[in-house]
Amino acid sequence: MLIEAMLLVTLVGALVVFASPNRYAGRLAFAISLLPLGISLWLYHRFEAVGNIFLGGDPAFETRAIWIDLQPYAIEWWVGVDGISLPLLVLATILATLAIVSAWTPIDERESQFYGLILILETGLIGVFVALDFILWFVFWEVVLIPMYLLIGIWGGPRRKYAAIKFFVYTNVASLAMFIGFVAIVFGLGDAVATFGMPEITAALHDGQLGALAGLDAATLKLAAFLAIFAGFAVKVPMVPVHTWLPDAHVEAPSPVSVLLAGVLLKMGTYALLRFNFTMFDDVAQQLAVPIAILAVISVIYGAMLALAQSDLKRIVAYSSISSMGYVILGLVAYTTYGVGGATFQMISHGLISGLMFMVVGVIYNQTHTRMVGDMAGLADRMPVVVGVFVAGAFAYMGLPLMSGFAAEFMIFYGAFESTVVPSAPLVTAVAMFGIVIVAGYLLWAMQQSLFGPFRLETDEPLGRAPIQDIAPLFVLLALIILLGVDPDIFVTMIQDAADPVAALGGDT
Amino acid sequence: MDAAFTYAPLIALFPLASFVIALAFGKYLPTRGALPGIVATGASLLVSVWVAAAVWQGHVHHEVLYTWIAGEDVVSLEFGILLDPLSALMLVVVSLISFLVHVFSLGYMNAEGETGLPRYYAELGLFSFSMLAFVYADNLLMAFIFFELVGVCSYLLIGFWFRDGAPASAQKKAFLVTRFGDYFFLIGVVGILATFGTTTFVGSEGFPQLAEAAIAGGETFWGIDASQWVTLLGLLVLGGVIGKSAQFPLHTWLPDAMEGPTTVSALIHAATMVAAGVYLVARMFGFYAVSPTALAIIAFVGAFTALFAATMGVVKDDIKQVLAYSTISQYGYMMLGLGVGGYVAAVFHLMNHAFFKALLFLGAGSVIVAMHHKQNMWEMGGLKEHLPVTYWTFLAGSLALAGIVPFSGFWSKDEVLFEALLLGAEAPIFIAAYAMALAAVFLTGFYTFRMVALTFHGEARTDDAATPHGVGWSIKFPLVVLGVLATVAGLINMKPVAVVADLDILYLETWLDAGFETTAYGTYTTLVTEVAGFSYADIGPLLPAIIALVLAVAGAALGYRTYAVAEPTEPVKRLGGAYDLVRANYYQDEFQVWLAEGFTARLARAADSFDQIVIDGTVNGISTVSLRAGSRVRRLQRGIVTNYAALMAASIVALLLLFAVYGGWF
Repeated sequence: MLIEAMLLVTLVGALVVFASPNRYAGRLAFAISLLPLGISLWLYHRFEAVGNIFLGGDPAFETRAIWIDLQPYAIEWWVGVDGISLPLLVLATILATLAIVSAWTPIDERESQFYGLILILETGLIGVFVALDFILWFVFWEVVLIPMYLLIGIWGGPRRKYAAIKFFVYTNVASLAMFIGFVAIVFGLGDAVATFGMPEITAALHDGQLGALAGLDAATLKLAAFLAIFAGFAVKVPMVPVHTWLPDAHVEAPSPVSVLLAGVLLKMGTYALLRFNFTMFDDVAQQLAVPIAILAVISVIYGAMLALAQSDLKRIVAYSSISSMGYVILGLVAYTTYGVGGATFQMISHGLISGLMFMVVGVIYNQTHTRMVGDMAGLADRMPVVVGVFVAGAFAYMGLPLMSGFAAEFMIFYGAFESTVVPSAPLVTAVAMFGIVIVAGYLLWAMQQSLFGPFRLETDEPLGRAPIQDIAPLFVLLALIILLGVDPDIFVTMIQDAADPVAALGGDT
Repeated sequence: MDAAFTYAPLIALFPLASFVIALAFGKYLPTRGALPGIVATGASLLVSVWVAAAVWQGHVHHEVLYTWIAGEDVVSLEFGILLDPLSALMLVVVSLISFLVHVFSLGYMNAEGETGLPRYYAELGLFSFSMLAFVYADNLLMAFIFFELVGVCSYLLIGFWFRDGAPASAQKKAFLVTRFGDYFFLIGVVGILATFGTTTFVGSEGFPQLAEAAIAGGETFWGIDASQWVTLLGLLVLGGVIGKSAQFPLHTWLPDAMEGPTTVSALIHAATMVAAGVYLVARMFGFYAVSPTALAIIAFVGAFTALFAATMGVVKDDIKQVLAYSTISQYGYMMLGLGVGGYVAAVFHLMNHAFFKALLFLGAGSVIVAMHHKQNMWEMGGLKEHLPVTYWTFLAGSLALAGIVPFSGFWSKDEVLFEALLLGAEAPIFIAAYAMALAAVFLTGFYTFRMVALTFHGEARTDDAATPHGVGWSIKFPLVVLGVLATVAGLINMKPVAVVADLDILYLETWLDAGFETTAYGTYTTLVTEVAGFSYADIGPLLPAIIALVLAVAGAALGYRTYAVAEPTEPVKRLGGAYDLVRANYYQDEFQVWLAEGFTARLARAADSFDQIVIDGTVNGISTVSLRAGSRVRRLQRGIVTNYAALMAASIVALLLLFAVYGGWF
């Protein structure tokens, strides 16, 4: 019931915030967001290893009841977590709380609506990571889109309409492809399943129960469904070449929204890929290991090259996400414990690090009213604390050891290197690893240009002291990044427990 | 277990504590964090000496301290401590120099009224912590982790004066160039872990041992023969070494790194950043010792760098620049020593160099304080009279650097050259490496005494030089300690004397030939001769020592005679085009800048155009829906966003309908 409580307090909280006066909305939303955060930490505290819930593990904190009984299929209220979804749940609740605090300074109109939408968004995010029935999961998946669309479209920058509609249409078309693909599979399974329970569908698929549908034999159907679903999630991740909505959305979105977009929304894509494509359809994923690995490497290198060409701090961070998510795909397709585990840990780590970077860029923007590298120089002289955090965050992004990014990337590299699923794994891994040089190139360049050297600011804003509510979330994130870098096992132990069965699908035990 | 070993982890943790204290409370402390730093590194030094004493008694220690990532059914990644003769020696050297640099900083930074001192001392503490933990790391992954932290501390300290443009540029370059090397290093770490399932340095389960067994057993990895695979992995790790130890072609960052405070240069050059590279090769020498190809590459990179950097040292005007090129050159000697199998010679030179180079940098720092922060040697002259302590200690360091008997550098450099000659006499290709290193001896003598002469001799050429600023005890004390060490440290391994007089005085060799069997000098010698197949000629050490000494003295004398005059000129300029080429550092910097800006940045811009025009253009083109919706939305007021929620709901309903129809619900 804890999961239901979590969803309920967040949703009811959202409605309360909608009804509250603008003046108090931010504080109120913060207070409310502590409830799901507290519950998720309690879940973390109480969690005991259950294996992988898509592969026979017993979901932790499970609730299962028939929701809508439509013969021959039943739609269920089925929620529960395992070692892969719980860390993401914790991440989502932490980032939502911090994003709310970081919005106090920049958001100065229609606050009650803004914070209400953030809480609805959080409800959707929680739902995506806990739902085990496909229809239920899909509802949460779509619920996330609406508040995000509105948050970009109302509180965004000058081109917010274009960015919002691009985000919306892009992800909606993707959802459609994914939905059709999945439903085709359910029908192809015929009488083998009577629910939309994703673990049961996985089991049926692994049993070889898939039959022909609409003139397609089982193998073709499976491949076609895999591709449709993969394409749908690839948009969300995003992978090259379906990534172009991301920089537009990030640049236009207000910083607190970018924090959630990069920090959690992208992880919906990688989480879904892991659950659907790499767990349910593991055989197809392994057959297609070569093209998937190539796409991953292209995402890493090409994304990093794009980041190198940018001069807007936010665009730089946005494009780096494409690169970092490429590593996640590489880890997943490796089908090794360290590969899959590292990919999952990278989702958490990147959520924190990109969240930190977007936040710190936001704080700089609040003071300087610019994000262009060419408009500022020597900020370290005027904003030493913020710049200190920026430097620490940038090094975290570059994979500095004893910060979470290194642990995640090292796990991925090691897991990918020894993969038996990806042919010439050492070579593929080595090429992807070159991303660590490019990321250093653009972040060091951006820091040299904007933070160091003689002070200069083109916008002539009087640089004030960043208020405490801007600074505090930065330090919370930085502390978490260092904590997870020094002791990755805070999450990796439970992640391994759930990732191992996935790796075993690829023959690695 | 020896009690010293129980406390050994503190060697690194003390400076970590001083980092935290300086960062959090530095601005409230009277010395802005200097005192915690001095106490911490002093304590590290004491524990290091205690550990060394335990090792002297024949004890060694290897223990896993912390499990970083516990593998359930897979390899666990751990941090441990490895205390053996090599690491114990290095711990003493690093903590000593770190301690002296902290003391010196009182005079160099605090007394000069610098701002940002808490940051300085915090970074210095972190730097010492990282290096000390790197030194006692028991496995390659942990070594990589602290190697990277050493790199980031260098970045921070090189850019200490971030308000100027040059340090900001230099710090970026230092990190980026070394990161390029570390890219290969990281592949090496991952490769070694994936190949052998461990990255531990010592014992029968250590990866060097497993590599040797794999080669002996004729195994293959990923379809590649074990010996080739080991060579490849070794060379990948070497990428990191070449970056950090500033070997050709990744040496370009080091001269620029002079933009940092001189105290930082002393630490970087003598005991931390640059030393880390060569130390790593020594640490995992058992892995290189089984691969003749890797050894030969190390030897040639080293010998070439020794000569190449020495030529550039000859034409520099800035005292710190001369020292920077000398560092690159001297690390070349250590690489050469390792590459020809002269493990003891290389470690010996690493230790001696740490003392005399720290001395020379701190001496240069003293000169810079005296000169009111001028660094151009042509503006100095005649400082000998005003700065006697600095002069005499600097002279001791210079004699050691130039390799003049009986100063420390002579003994170790001579041993490196001797080992190269012994190998070269049997495998003639190595004669080329020996010849390059020998030529560099002459140049080293020349540029060293050019520097001494221009700085201290002759007559004062500017008002600053005529009326220098005095220096305090905190500057003199470290100089004297290091001056003594630079003079006498060489006595612990006087190979020519030992062989000629048949005395048992090779203390360092004895020291290094103890401890764990797999990391003992004797084991390495066996590997190099039996597995790598190197053989050494039987030549007496006296004549080669005399040759090296004559060259060094000739270079030094020429340098002194040319520049220690009242009105020195620059005769090297007469070389014309060659002078210009060397003066421009062989256009290496231009090449790397082109690689970064002309090539990579241009490629990135091309990718960006491609992305916007082709990929995004296609997306916008095919999704006319998007465009139409976009134009419609522009007409709408913000308030009507509920329409979109309705649109959303409608699309879900449509999906469910589609699903229902196909699903046969109706």
